[in-house]
Amino acid sequence: MVRRSLRIFIVLLAICIVALVAGALRILQPDAFAPASRIPSGGSLVSSIRGVPRSFNRYVAPDSAVETITFLTQSRLVRINRATMETEPMLAESWTGSKDNLTYTVKLRRGVKFSDGVPFTSADVVFSFRAIYDEKIGSSIGDSLHVEGKPLEVSALDENTVSIRFPSAFGPGLRVLDNLPIYPRHLLEQSVNDGTFAKAWGVTTPPAKIAGLGPFMLREYQAGQRLVFERNPYYWRKDASGARLPYLDRVTLEIVADQNAEVLRLQSGQIDCIQSEVRPEDYATLKQTASTGRVRLYDLGPGLDADSFWFNLRNDAKIPGARRAWLQHVELRRAIAEAVDRTRFADTVFFGAAVPVFGPVSPANKIWFDPQVPTPAFDRARAASRLAAIGLKNKDRDGMLLDATGQPAQFTLITQKGNTALERGAAVIRDELRTIGLAVDVVPLDVLAVVDRLEKGDFEALYFRFLTSDVDPALSMDFWRSSGNAHVWNRGQPQPATEWERRVDELMARQASTIDLAERKRLFGEVQRVFADQLPILYFAAPRVYVVTNARVLNATPALLRPMVLWSADTLAVSKTPGTSP
Amino acid sequence: MPLFRLLARRAVFGLILVFVVSSGAVLLTRVAPGSVVADLVASGASQETIARERARLGLDRPLLEQYVTWLSHAVRLDFGESLMFGRPVGELVRQRAANTALLAVAALAFATLVGIPLGVVSGSRRRGVVPAIIRAASLVCLSLPPLITSLVFVFIAARTGWFPIGGMTSIEAASPGWFSWLRDVAWHLPIPAFALALPLAAVLERLQSQATGETLGEPYMLATIARGVPRSRLVWRDGFKASIRPVASIYGLFVGGLLSGSFVVEIVTSWPGLGRLMFDALRARDLYLVAGCATVGSIFLAAGGLLSDVALAFADPRMRGEDRS
Repeated sequence: MVRRSLRIFIVLLAICIVALVAGALRILQPDAFAPASRIPSGGSLVSSIRGVPRSFNRYVAPDSAVETITFLTQSRLVRINRATMETEPMLAESWTGSKDNLTYTVKLRRGVKFSDGVPFTSADVVFSFRAIYDEKIGSSIGDSLHVEGKPLEVSALDENTVSIRFPSAFGPGLRVLDNLPIYPRHLLEQSVNDGTFAKAWGVTTPPAKIAGLGPFMLREYQAGQRLVFERNPYYWRKDASGARLPYLDRVTLEIVADQNAEVLRLQSGQIDCIQSEVRPEDYATLKQTASTGRVRLYDLGPGLDADSFWFNLRNDAKIPGARRAWLQHVELRRAIAEAVDRTRFADTVFFGAAVPVFGPVSPANKIWFDPQVPTPAFDRARAASRLAAIGLKNKDRDGMLLDATGQPAQFTLITQKGNTALERGAAVIRDELRTIGLAVDVVPLDVLAVVDRLEKGDFEALYFRFLTSDVDPALSMDFWRSSGNAHVWNRGQPQPATEWERRVDELMARQASTIDLAERKRLFGEVQRVFADQLPILYFAAPRVYVVTNARVLNATPALLRPMVLWSADTLAVSKTPGTSP
Repeated sequence: MPLFRLLARRAVFGLILVFVVSSGAVLLTRVAPGSVVADLVASGASQETIARERARLGLDRPLLEQYVTWLSHAVRLDFGESLMFGRPVGELVRQRAANTALLAVAALAFATLVGIPLGVVSGSRRRGVVPAIIRAASLVCLSLPPLITSLVFVFIAARTGWFPIGGMTSIEAASPGWFSWLRDVAWHLPIPAFALALPLAAVLERLQSQATGETLGEPYMLATIARGVPRSRLVWRDGFKASIRPVASIYGLFVGGLLSGSFVVEIVTSWPGLGRLMFDALRARDLYLVAGCATVGSIFLAAGGLLSDVALAFADPRMRGEDRS
């Protein structure tokens, strides 16, 4: 009996080992996607997008509609897996780094073809880099692919190998290439040569003249209404069983500008997914719909992006001298950080679906969030004493503070009109600051007017929300460095205006040029501590992110980075069960 | 001859209107805060890239110089190139204008066919349940802005599935024959058309009701009744002819109202018309495209005014110069 049990145990153990080895081998095959189980092929999926595309050329149009289209129609050398946040190979099959960490030799996948059947080679990679760095084209992608202000040097070693040389060691390495779709040289080189590239692949270009390496190809654009994509028969990716991806035959992007109509369409089954998170006010309705089984609601936890509040810290800010002294004082920012009840903020602004945050790195950023960074406690008495220390006192006993010149302690807070969460947030900030005697005039402006004010430095305080494009801080140097354009409290400084900004510049430069991840984390932890002490931007809450799809959508892996669902369009599928299709 | 002179005068006014509206659109969009390169700013592009893009789009030129250049091209019907799409404005506007015209015509037809007869009914009978219901319904529809009506209709369509929620054609009908396309468009038309038409039908009903009531109280109408002319003939033929004049005189203004109303309805119902295009252009501060849309809108308005004069001429002989008194 014992011997028989032992035999069964050995057999089971052997089966387990075989299964584990098979699984491990599958994991080691990066281009092979492992399907959940019997994914149905065929069918079509309808998603909504809010804006109309300005072009089909991502190199010249940075809007979100073009970004989504690019995810469907183009491929990159490497991509960030939005679910794991790890870098994974795409058109680059493998790569090796040089000892000095400056040069990467990248082996390209063989046998890959563009959607028009023309083979993909290293010449396309070199061409793509040439196009984004061309000054006449002025691509914002080109700006993002600079390290220490210098471009990467790319050359073809042979038809299937390229060399990419960084000007200096760069921690994120090839991860930076997630931003660069590879374009077909045979279709676009002429337009680069004759200076017409900015107009190439415009919205009236016939779809037959557009080709890519992505899972789908554009079949039709019905202006202002929808974009229809068909599966690319030459797409190179396969699933674990060897079946060619994508599973879907067709993807349609319906242009729905109104968010209420978008939700109604989703509930009625006319669209399968939307490309942004569920608004806090729509959550209850969609949860109810989810309970009927018509839609599936994914809770992705706290988001990467918290609403940001900051003062204009420029030396040439258009703020009268007496007010500037206290408005730009660090003690004011510390007082505000202590005066706002973040739990109440989360409850009021996001209806409870948010977590308090204290710094620019949200707890959702699991790799780079440092829980050891000190956080301010909610303490209004302490906040009041900080304000008194910078000369803001309640002289006439009406509860509101006056500055040293007898003027009310008052400032204007600009925010984005039409964004309900921001409008609610600004109202809560105004109410919370009133409790410590600060008067806030909230001015909601059209988003372009907000960006314009930011660009011109014409504001006292701003409350806005930026979208994270990658979790690695070295890929947001524009935000951290004093010379950066996204260093929003004091943009584009020729020299660091303060000692602490000089320190952050140094730490970030070291962090970005360090290859060892543990050391990078340590350096970035120091940056976060400086930030927590100086508080150039105040953060209050990061909303929980909910993504919704029709229940018939299979294999979705929604992610915090956009496009939240369609980033993995090649592995999406739809159920053919009757009654679940719209 | 007076009619010809009137139409000629209106045509000249129409041209001035188009000039003022399109010029105003260029100048106001240019001075409004924000610019078409905001996306570039938000995407973290360098100052040099942003400056180059501004120069390429001509946004670094003085306002007056930019306007004069635009005007010199516009008089030759060249409205320039969209800053947002990099395509000729005329090419972008043409198809959208046709879509908006289709929606406006459908809404106007519905509003006219429903509003005017109901106005005659409610105006010819001062008492009774039917006129009371019509008046109450009109008041409700009058107080509902197109945004609310379109959202309500979209909601009903979502719940019942009787009509598509948005768009102008179905995905399945992406490239069918003409007949299928027409049928598909006709299926998509009711929601936005009803949303636009309801407040308009209510206005027409109120105006027609008032005019009918006043006309039927005129001494010559009472004399006609005394001569034994049947009341239905009096109301629907003689009375209608006389009472339609005030409605016809402001009919042209409704065209303008329809276009401004369609702005919201097109966004909610995803109708790919001029309103949506102008909304996108305004949001992006694409001044040439805004000007192109505004120009077409003002042409619609001027044409509506002319149409109104022609309609009035048919209803009122004095307008045709036949008044000998």
